[in-house]
Amino acid sequence: MVRSAADRAFLPAKNLFEQVGNMMILTGKTIVATVKPPYPYGGEFISQFLFALQLCWFPLLISTVAFGFGAPGLQAANFLTLFGALDRLGGFFILASVREFAPFVTAVVVAGVAGTAITADLGARKIREELDALMVLGVDPIKNLVVPRFLSLMLITGLLNIYALLFGISGGLFAELTYGQPLGGFFATLFNNASVTDLWGSVLKTTLFGAIVAIVCSYKGMNASGGAQGVGTAVNEAVVIAFMGVFAFNYVFTQTLLATHPEISAIK
Amino acid sequence: MADEQSTDPSQDDTVIEERSQEPPPPPPPPPQVQAQAGGDQSSRDPDSAAPELGTLNKDYTIPGVDPDDTDPYRWHTGEKRDHGGEDAIEVIDLVKQFGKTRIQNGLNLGLPDNEVSMVLGPSGTGKSVLIKLIVGLLYPDAGDILVHGESVPSMTDDELFEMRKKFGLLFQDGALFGSMNIYDNTAFPLRQHTDKSEDEISEIVNRRLQEVGLAEAHYKMPNELSGGMRKRAGFARALVLDPAIVFFDEPDSGLDPVRTALLCELIREVHEENGGCYMVISHDLGTARRIADFIAVLWKGRIVESGPSEELFNSDNDFVRQFLNAEVDGPLAMD
Repeated sequence: MVRSAADRAFLPAKNLFEQVGNMMILTGKTIVATVKPPYPYGGEFISQFLFALQLCWFPLLISTVAFGFGAPGLQAANFLTLFGALDRLGGFFILASVREFAPFVTAVVVAGVAGTAITADLGARKIREELDALMVLGVDPIKNLVVPRFLSLMLITGLLNIYALLFGISGGLFAELTYGQPLGGFFATLFNNASVTDLWGSVLKTTLFGAIVAIVCSYKGMNASGGAQGVGTAVNEAVVIAFMGVFAFNYVFTQTLLATHPEISAIK
Repeated sequence: MADEQSTDPSQDDTVIEERSQEPPPPPPPPPQVQAQAGGDQSSRDPDSAAPELGTLNKDYTIPGVDPDDTDPYRWHTGEKRDHGGEDAIEVIDLVKQFGKTRIQNGLNLGLPDNEVSMVLGPSGTGKSVLIKLIVGLLYPDAGDILVHGESVPSMTDDELFEMRKKFGLLFQDGALFGSMNIYDNTAFPLRQHTDKSEDEISEIVNRRLQEVGLAEAHYKMPNELSGGMRKRAGFARALVLDPAIVFFDEPDSGLDPVRTALLCELIREVHEENGGCYMVISHDLGTARRIADFIAVLWKGRIVESGPSEELFNSDNDFVRQFLNAEVDGPLAMD
């Protein structure tokens, strides 16, 4: 009786740890399948890359400009006006947009747009027994389906981050113009605070966000069950878990980057 | 007996573990099982076969077993009548459980090479699960499965993918790839596993599609086909590599009687042409009479009896006789 009560109480935690463990195993198998010959996933990789690009570029454009203009732009500009330091907005955009908001918005858009498509696609294949059929035909679904999605999402997320940086900063420029300020101060503090570390840190972080999104979404898709409703549930869970994974990893990455590169903590 | 076995708490939470996610270490067959592997299983006591993995009706339940029944296996002689050949597939003391529902409970089965075998049994007795265990899509909780003498649960993923090249499997709904038309679905195994030119592939694929009556529909996508057409397309794909072992998961479900008869005839023709071990799962006695050389009757997670089809159809076992003659009176009731 005690055992069954304990089982009920700890079942959600046990399931969570099991899923995290299974995702780790899938990550390991995916990395091994990526580097181990043969490499049959080239065509699927290109098609998944173009598919993600086609789906993500416009939502990302709108999101980054609107987010950059609204949150770090107007709100921070309002605050900086108190100190007569509106020209510092450019420097703030290095902290806010380059290091945090652009990678964050990129990961959210990629997870919500391309990640959900991956889960729905693989989930539908699982429900229709296509994945079982692949395995029975001697074809490894990890190498043929997960690896190309994993690589394409990593690449597209890293590249889209640069795109998000540009449009995010343009949101800051719009905020500066809204307050009737010349743009010279904005650019001066922007470039004064910018460093190569900020750029590669941002791109690397976002690339790894893409890996997290790809693994979570592929895992949930390949383990969907319960018909069409099960695929819907898998998509929902994939988005929630991918966001949690991205946020948790962001904390670890930011702390590590600041600890290993203390010079970027100094605001100029 | 199963309901007198000791409880092993470590087995309480048995869950489905698909091979692609989390391969556990292969279950070691019990010593007495290894001694019997490949040998005549007719002398095996069916009650002693199930490994001790819990207590019936306490730690697990078996579909079809009444909790008040003290001797649920009284019809299970486990007798395997001699078919005069070698077994291509041997299932030894197989146990598979989903949650607390035990589907296979110490199942022993040998499927002969170069014959069409049929596994018959009431709904929900784990016939489709048995195919998934044999092809390595699921892991057994205990016991072993030998295909041409090689243990499937002990294989690494790479060995398993290699071994599966000798398998063909017709899924219940065809399991066609939704993004490919019928032609590409059928050509898929050839493109994956052979170095044949597109001309050679085209010749083989068109011949197979012609055999299943889908030559005119080769350009259609799976969602444009009826259930029967999807099944026939799946049949063409399953046979395109001339596999040594072919599984048919209810090939007759959803087909009209004439198409069922034609499909049965096709299975026989292809088998006569290629040989190999064919395993058909079905409820349909007409299909059994048409194509089966060898029949195994599955109930309550174990084989009741198995042997050449004409012997099984004349069996004096109460359950086998009831099931193979579709009689109302007998051990099998609606519940």
